[in-house]
Amino acid sequence: MTPASLQGGGPEPTARAAVVSVAVPLRSRLMFQSQTSRRLAFGYLLLAPAALYVLLLVGAPFVFSLYLAVSDANVGDPVATFIGLENFRSALEMDVFWIALQNSVIFLVVAAIFKSILGTSLAFLLLQDFPGKKLIRGLVVIPFTLPIAISVLAWKWMYDSQFSVINWVLSRVGLIGQYGTDSWPIWLGDPKLALLACIAVNVWRTFPFSAIVLLAGFTSVPLEVLDAAKVDGCSFFQRFRHVVAPMIFPILMIGFLFDTVFTLSDLSVVYLLTQGGPANASKILPVLAYQIGIQAGNLGRGAAIALFLVPLLAPAMFLFLRNLKRREY
Amino acid sequence: MATAQTLRQKERRRHLWIYAGLTPFVFIAVFPIYWMLITAFKQDPDLYRMDNIPFWFNLAPTLRHFKILFFQTNYGAWIVNTMTIAAWVALITLVTAVPAGYALARLRLPAAENIGISVFMTYLVPPIILFLPLSRVVAMLGLQDEWWALVVVYPTFTIPFGTWLVLPVSVPGVLTAVIFAFTLSMQDFLYGLAFVAPGDQKPVPVGVPTELIRGDVYYWGSLMGAALLVGLPVAVLYNFFLDRFIQGITGGVGK
Repeated sequence: MTPASLQGGGPEPTARAAVVSVAVPLRSRLMFQSQTSRRLAFGYLLLAPAALYVLLLVGAPFVFSLYLAVSDANVGDPVATFIGLENFRSALEMDVFWIALQNSVIFLVVAAIFKSILGTSLAFLLLQDFPGKKLIRGLVVIPFTLPIAISVLAWKWMYDSQFSVINWVLSRVGLIGQYGTDSWPIWLGDPKLALLACIAVNVWRTFPFSAIVLLAGFTSVPLEVLDAAKVDGCSFFQRFRHVVAPMIFPILMIGFLFDTVFTLSDLSVVYLLTQGGPANASKILPVLAYQIGIQAGNLGRGAAIALFLVPLLAPAMFLFLRNLKRREY
Repeated sequence: MATAQTLRQKERRRHLWIYAGLTPFVFIAVFPIYWMLITAFKQDPDLYRMDNIPFWFNLAPTLRHFKILFFQTNYGAWIVNTMTIAAWVALITLVTAVPAGYALARLRLPAAENIGISVFMTYLVPPIILFLPLSRVVAMLGLQDEWWALVVVYPTFTIPFGTWLVLPVSVPGVLTAVIFAFTLSMQDFLYGLAFVAPGDQKPVPVGVPTELIRGDVYYWGSLMGAALLVGLPVAVLYNFFLDRFIQGITGGVGK
């Protein structure tokens, strides 16, 4: 889909150009020009509120966060002075920063592996035709549509140290012992398990998204094009390589980008499950930035830590922009 | 006839395989919701014992947890806050995004595409980078510790999207943008957590996890009831325009 096709009924640019060129001889050139400039002024006027809102509350704060990061801004002390790269330097000297960075990368990679496996298999199943497909699809996407803070609570209860339903099942099946024994996993309290438990919630929440994006990719390939390729004598492999893959690749890239941004920058799963504990075992960068920026009130250092996410996000952004350019040809 | 029957049989077998493949996915997706639901209606002694099978009621269901929610906590106020915030956000989104979407789509502005892409790209600047500077903005506006702060910041994620969703400018397009603004303002956690501290000013997704958990004491029945009562309607609403959402992010950008 493109913006042009989203417009639905609107005339195609060429058709509109034709209308205009018919109209021109009927009017004086001057009048046409003033109409054009009026149309432009009207257009920019309509655009202005949205553009200004975004500029003032996303653009300006982003620049402001760069400023905060090189200042000693503090919640208690509104007068900030420039301290150069001091915040970045002191962040790099914190052990917990390196732990958080490492955990963020592990979180992203492990979650991506699992959600692509689950998402791809689900997409292939949902690609088939069968009775009740709409209902099943509606059920499977619930994890993604439920507000995140709310679903995390359900998991916190399922991970309860004593009354965990997961442990109840594992114990009945005989995979683990009774409550209180060493083999009884304490999901959120064990340094070896806490991060994995958080990753599992992220995978649970986002695998439907991967599946639906993939599905959108598959269904965006028009059957006529595939048929045409078939008629022209393309083998199955050739059709996949030269027709399907190039068509779904941009969509996959965008899905991947969105997921990377949301997974890397989300604090709610870890914050609500473990607050980064036990002993920083599940600390990730967003949680650290929140704890230092808001809870400890050190705005400058918090902003600096949050900005360390930018280089992590950069590869995804780069792929996205390259992909945009490619599609322009 | 015989061939038609074998065909039908073959088809049915294929369906069975698909259902078998889908069962684990549906189970994984739905079980936590089922678990919330049953927890919300169980009596405490039924919740906290390990010798019964926990998947069904061992004692009679109860509405006690909901009574606690509405009479002993700020839950009622949070629902009102959430709805009011969502309505304001929807309104702001409409008066900004509908004209913008119309201008981008219909008026052939020379820079339309670049402006459109830049507006959309702001959706990708994560809140975790913006929340500290925004906390300063909120303080400057004198809105810290009021839910009005959230009315100001939530449109930053609804406008970029709304601009694409309202195309074509039509009743379904506008409706989608409204539902979108409504549900999205309930997906946030970080801004609500960072900007609104007083207990009675919070929206539901922030109030429930931060106010209903006191120290190490968990009221799981009330917690699950509180979460579900708001979460489930949002999930269902979101479901209706999920395709539009995916279409928006996969096709709303680029040429």
